[in-house]
Amino acid sequence: MSVGHLARILEGEGIATVVIATEVFEKRLTSMTLPRLLLTPYPMGRPLGFPRQENEHKLILMQALKLLEGSKGLTVHYWKKQSGNMSSAESKEILVE
Amino acid sequence: MDTMKDFKNAFSYGERNNLNFKFLAHLSEKEAAGFIETSFQLMEDGLNGRFPGRLIEHITQGQKKVYSVPGKFTYETGIFHALGKKVSEATIGLCTSSGHFVKGNDPKPFGVEGMTQTEAVYRIQEFLRETPQLSTIPKSVEMKNLQVRHGGYDISGTEIDGNITFPLEPLVCLEKERHIGKLADKLYSFVGACAQGALKKVVKDDWINIIKAQGIEGMILVPV
Repeated sequence: MSVGHLARILEGEGIATVVIATEVFEKRLTSMTLPRLLLTPYPMGRPLGFPRQENEHKLILMQALKLLEGSKGLTVHYWKKQSGNMSSAESKEILVE
Repeated sequence: MDTMKDFKNAFSYGERNNLNFKFLAHLSEKEAAGFIETSFQLMEDGLNGRFPGRLIEHITQGQKKVYSVPGKFTYETGIFHALGKKVSEATIGLCTSSGHFVKGNDPKPFGVEGMTQTEAVYRIQEFLRETPQLSTIPKSVEMKNLQVRHGGYDISGTEIDGNITFPLEPLVCLEKERHIGKLADKLYSFVGACAQGALKKVVKDDWINIIKAQGIEGMILVPV
């Protein structure tokens, strides 16, 4: 996974990173032990969600920036409940290291 | 007439190529048939105005099933560098593997200017053996002046709204709202379907200096 390599090299060079990826790649990315990973519930090719959902794109970026500021390695699942209207958002944190 | 095997495999760079469903080639015939049958059931729900999100979730889970094995590159330990300050005081960068570039500044893969998405899909195996090229994208550019080309994923969504893979506009907005101290003046993108060893070398030898010259302290990375 190209971005995983990039994240590890940048961290080693003193640049903090956060990866925003569709949960499709969860196994591939977590097996690379990335420092900060935000997984979204969208299909491939749509890591920040669907076109023209400006608020959703911003919410995902805000969550990623929160991770970036954190002092420990985390993988976070960002998802919206598939409750018909897809209106409620939740997140779940998993410690990586 | 196609066999089930021929049918499902044709979605992965075959005569029915559809990069949203290329994962079907990696399922057994029985699994692929089950996926399609459930898809029809969920479409029926959609026709009745019920649970529209479930079909999308079903497709996402189908894709995830194929990628739910560790990749070729696994690491036991992580590398962690703390940002050490608030994001609202830091310089933040963006680098995506979506294959974006500014119109008129084509990275010209294999020397071909104006390569179409169709040709990029057709030449995906060549891309996977190639050193990637880093495209520099000024944060002042308008989205309409960006172009995307990547033979490894369905770009139809990002052609409608590039922010779903290269979130320039929401980041500019977050900078204006002072959630971000400074968004780096230059942002980056490349085609992630590339030779992984060559990628690591070019990042260490070249890209890292380009990125550091921007004073970037924190980087948002987006794979596709």
